[in-house]
Amino acid sequence: MITLYLVLPLALLVASGAVAAFAWSIRSGQMDDLETPPRRILLDD
Amino acid sequence: MTSAATAASGTGTGTGTGTGSDTGTGTGSATGGCLHCGLPAAGKDFCCAGCEVVHAALAEHGLDAYYKVADRVSMGERGPARTTGKSYAELDDPAFRQLHVQARADGLAEVAFFLEDVRCAACVWLVERVPALCDGVAEVRLDLGRSRADVVFDPARASLADTARMLDRLGHPVHPYRGVDRDRLRQQDDRALLLKIGVAGAAAGNVMLLAFALYAGMFGGMAAGQTSFFRWTSMLVAVPALGFAAMPFFRGALGALTTRRLHLDLPIALGILVGLVWGTLNVVRGTGEIYFDSLAMLVFLLLVSRWVQSKQHRKAASAAELLHALTPRTARRLREGGVEEVPLEAIVAGDRVEVRAGDTVPVDGVVLSGASALDAGLLTGESRPAEVVAGDAVHAGTVNLVGPLVVSATAAGEATRIGQLARRIEDEGRRRAAIQRFVDRVAGRFVAVVLAVAALTAIGWSLTAGPRVGLEHAMALLIVTCPCALALATPLAVSIALGRAARRGLLVKGGDALERLATPGLVFLDKTGTLTEGRIRLTDWIGDSDARVLAAAVERGSAHPLARALVAEVDADDLGATDVHEVLGGGVEGTVRGRRVTVGAPPWVTARASVPAGLRSAAEVLATAGKTPVLVAVDGRVVAAAGFADAVRPDAAPAIERLRADGWRVRILSGDDPRIVRAVGLSLGLPLDACRGGVTPEGKLAAVREAKAAGPVVMVGDGVNDAAAMAAATCGVAVHGSAEASIDAADVLVRRPGLAALVELFDGAAATLAVIRRNLRVSLAYNLVGGTLAVTGLIHPLIAAVLMPLSSLSVLFSSSRSRGFRAPRQEKESPR
Repeated sequence: MITLYLVLPLALLVASGAVAAFAWSIRSGQMDDLETPPRRILLDD
Repeated sequence: MTSAATAASGTGTGTGTGTGSDTGTGTGSATGGCLHCGLPAAGKDFCCAGCEVVHAALAEHGLDAYYKVADRVSMGERGPARTTGKSYAELDDPAFRQLHVQARADGLAEVAFFLEDVRCAACVWLVERVPALCDGVAEVRLDLGRSRADVVFDPARASLADTARMLDRLGHPVHPYRGVDRDRLRQQDDRALLLKIGVAGAAAGNVMLLAFALYAGMFGGMAAGQTSFFRWTSMLVAVPALGFAAMPFFRGALGALTTRRLHLDLPIALGILVGLVWGTLNVVRGTGEIYFDSLAMLVFLLLVSRWVQSKQHRKAASAAELLHALTPRTARRLREGGVEEVPLEAIVAGDRVEVRAGDTVPVDGVVLSGASALDAGLLTGESRPAEVVAGDAVHAGTVNLVGPLVVSATAAGEATRIGQLARRIEDEGRRRAAIQRFVDRVAGRFVAVVLAVAALTAIGWSLTAGPRVGLEHAMALLIVTCPCALALATPLAVSIALGRAARRGLLVKGGDALERLATPGLVFLDKTGTLTEGRIRLTDWIGDSDARVLAAAVERGSAHPLARALVAEVDADDLGATDVHEVLGGGVEGTVRGRRVTVGAPPWVTARASVPAGLRSAAEVLATAGKTPVLVAVDGRVVAAAGFADAVRPDAAPAIERLRADGWRVRILSGDDPRIVRAVGLSLGLPLDACRGGVTPEGKLAAVREAKAAGPVVMVGDGVNDAAAMAAATCGVAVHGSAEASIDAADVLVRRPGLAALVELFDGAAATLAVIRRNLRVSLAYNLVGGTLAVTGLIHPLIAAVLMPLSSLSVLFSSSRSRGFRAPRQEKESPR
């Protein structure tokens, strides 16, 4: 069970990476308009 | 990739083959309906002129691929197209650029437009193709939810007017977007809240995983070192994450403390704070319970409910702004060179302005030339149009009904009467205190009770089992009773109600508006446009009914509102009048099939024809009943009297009856002639003392203020003259077709005609408050269970972790079962 002391912080590191990515996506405006982009994906170009 | 290439080449050189075949298939299906929108077109190629224009524009610019895109991506959202053919010259005016255009660092400029009729992905495709069609336009990005298009352009090369004309021809009439600053602020708020949700969610997920291990360890046994490691890790994740994510609650609680107002944020912040501090202490001490998993979940749920609620409010608010954007903000200024369309802001006193029939007068001023009738209904509440000739004063906000006028501006913008009213409305809106929300009142008592019980618990257990146990149980109580479900109770019920109300054509700007409407009090109704339809109709005809056709024949050429009302009622062929001449303020005279027909105001007609006593008194009776009498004479003898009035809406009487049955006291407050108001009140079964006429906007405001001292007051109206009273009232309701100022001032916007919607609004508000109360009872019951366990010392973090989501789920279920604003089954709208 000694691996826990290594794996748990590692898991939390991954989680904080996800939070950081989310923060970046918010800052870059990807969450501002949640209605148009899902439609825009239907267009080819 | 192939279709992308076709689309791109369509705008360039390869137009011939690609578009030719597209049009071919399109024409083949002509019998299937309109070539543009696919709606039934009665055997023709197009259902309306708008579709034809757009179809031609698409073909001209090689954009036929639109139809392929639309067939593929739109989900039954297409509708007939509308174009206005406006020149949009005002968009290139320096005044417009200064107000709305923003320079960018790269030398380009950016402007936001509000586009009409954007519905689906195909609209996105079409609108974002504009840069290829208009010189100097670099990029267009469309936001469907806000109907907002951001246009990036080169100010040296592009003409905004050209761009707007292009969008117009493609079926999307353009308006300047006026909420740019507001949008930016909201965007900042939204982003901040979203980040907090993300952090709280991540913390909740991870802490809960750790908690699972700890709970498992409690039953199965776990090495002391590992338990300690898990506890420390939980703390290191939860404390910083929640310290950041729960900031809104701490700030709210602090605000409540400094203003000495009770607020729901207070018990929430207390629970979270005690939980975090106590948990940290216990981790450091290495003994005692920790509640980090419940707390993280709690913060996450509360933030999500805030998000849902604010989205719902935004929707109603932006719908109100859309209506706002639709009102024209330009004026036609006369200069030596001719007429130019300029933004309203560019007009100064002394300018000469042309006002065409049908336009709204943009300035206060004096008529220089022309003669017409003005509808001041929205400004003063008068139902009868006022006639104006050269030399008369006119006010901004009135509608020119008959013929073109040239007006010399004496005041523009803020200095106009309507501008001053607008400022007063704003003052009233600011002055209105927020109501003490029901849930906050409950929260106040809740805090007091919980604190008292916690103190008793601490003392009680200290005396029997020592101070350490006493403190432990008291802390557990404070954490366990943190009112999560209580905090969800209102936002959930309100969000669901607002969403449903919006689908029923009722835009409620804030959740507290529903609470303001839920208890019956006094309701003031405006008359013109609210109780009545707001336009003149023929209501009485006394005497020779054959004369109707003759009268209609001479009136047919006239633009006077009474003449139009008469012609609209006569369903016969035009007999053809000759030798017609019209006297403003008098009437019309003409020859129909050899007979001399005179139609007009009683004094003018009696000066030209003999009147039988019966018809003379009939005209007087009509006048006392609040109607506008008109006499009809044939060959020098009066043969009929007609009465015109602004007809009462058919659903007004039953609606008022319902309101009164529900306990509302109904009053009419109108700017119109007191006789007319009394007549309308009588027909609706209201006592005479409940009907006040001839009230100025200031008078309405005073009446509302006075009545408000005695209890809640709801003001229902449509005009600028009602707006200040609406802002001052406990709740203001703007009905269908309201003036811009009322839309701003009101808490609720009704977007469908008729007063039945009003009854539905009041019913829905009452039902929503009932659900809120039920939710509060449910959540308090859960708190009672948790609290009792904590007081008796039987609580365990695991029980808390189960109780909390369970109570939140119950509240969610209870909210979704609300009967407020449900569509009645029989008149359910068919999907578009």
